[in-house]
Amino acid sequence: MNAPVSPRHDVMRSQLGRARGLGSGHSGTGHWIAERVSAATLLPLSGWFVVQMFRLGGADYEDVAKWGGKPLNATMLSALVISSFYHAEVGLQVIVDDYVHGKAHVPAKFGVRFVTGLLGLLGVVAVLKLALGRPASKA
Amino acid sequence: MVELRLPRNSTVGKGQFFPAPAGAKTVRTFKIYRWTPDDDKNPVMDAYEVDLDAIGPMVLDALIHIKNDIDPTLTFRRSCREGICGSCAMNIDGENTLACLKPIKSMEGDIMINPLPHMPIVKDLVSNLDGAYAQLRAIDPWIQADSPPPPDGERRQSIEERAKLDGMWECILCFCCTTSCPSYWWNGDRYLGPAVLLAAYRWIADSRDEHTGDRLDSLEDTFKLYACRTIMNCTQTCPKGLNPAKAIGRIKELQVERKL
Ligand code: SF4
Ligand code: SF4
Ligand code: FES
Repeated sequence: MNAPVSPRHDVMRSQLGRARGLGSGHSGTGHWIAERVSAATLLPLSGWFVVQMFRLGGADYEDVAKWGGKPLNATMLSALVISSFYHAEVGLQVIVDDYVHGKAHVPAKFGVRFVTGLLGLLGVVAVLKLALGRPASKA
Repeated sequence: MVELRLPRNSTVGKGQFFPAPAGAKTVRTFKIYRWTPDDDKNPVMDAYEVDLDAIGPMVLDALIHIKNDIDPTLTFRRSCREGICGSCAMNIDGENTLACLKPIKSMEGDIMINPLPHMPIVKDLVSNLDGAYAQLRAIDPWIQADSPPPPDGERRQSIEERAKLDGMWECILCFCCTTSCPSYWWNGDRYLGPAVLLAAYRWIADSRDEHTGDRLDSLEDTFKLYACRTIMNCTQTCPKGLNPAKAIGRIKELQVERKL
């Protein structure tokens, strides 16, 4: 075991070459701002939402549909849904950057965007349905 | 992909035990990481009992005593023994610090000594910092100015301008901070780490430097700069009491400032 076999190097690129790597990606600040701005908008929106939910507690479908039909409420609801999923997307990107390396990195980043985007869209469509659709209700 | 386990050859075993000499009164046990590239074995923790009455007060004194009098095969780096060269950086009792500045009596019980975390090991407590040094080189840590210096002297700074460098020129590049940073552990190939970013900000903040924008350009990157998650391990561990996290925060603020 003692005679050291000269090790086979898979990477012989210089350390400086590796450190410089592909250079700057010229992005990152936008993401950093987005994290903070989406967190900041979520605060008042979720506050509003919690208050509304307390007010609507125990209400029947008719009342909730009427509430959601008001333009202001529908706007606030969509803003909440969009901010939430946008914030989730930006936050999940960070987790992917930290923990998913190698070949899986790029697909994981697109996957996060796709899933959060789709879920956000679903939320917005639901809000629109509530706001614009006429519930076929028996009054 | 996501790594959940240590590679098999990183599992640390139990090593040899070196008892204290008979008659020693104040005995402390040092458990020290041992690994050599010369055989195919996994690393082990050797235990050395040391008579504290026979040596100086710092952890480095104990290491020198072990090497001189107990086990000459123990390998570590040291030079100045007064906290200025940065070579004795290691993980002592779970904290990255300088062995020459760490008083033995500041710790209770057995003292665990490991190399700086998450770096390739050369031998025992000597970690390979080539990658981190190259990252430092990559941020051009020297003055870049296109105006010629005054013919009769040096480039001048006001007292206020010079004061902006305080808290940064003191960095001794021991890399205690960088190797304590989880972001650096996960993405050290792309993230520059706190020591190098502190050095980068030292030149960004220097009033004599004229390439501030280029420096910010080269840091504008999801990983190089923004992999810092403000975990603050760096600031907590710096043996010189510096605040790399704050310097990183300043770089991010400047990036935002020039964008908005
Ligand atoms: S900032 Fe502190 S811990 Fe980091 S390299 Fe400089 S002196 Fe060492
Ligand atoms: S503040 Fe940034 S650089 Fe410092 S330990 Fe945390 S992630 Fe690393
Ligand atoms: S020996 Fe120089 S810093 Fe410890």
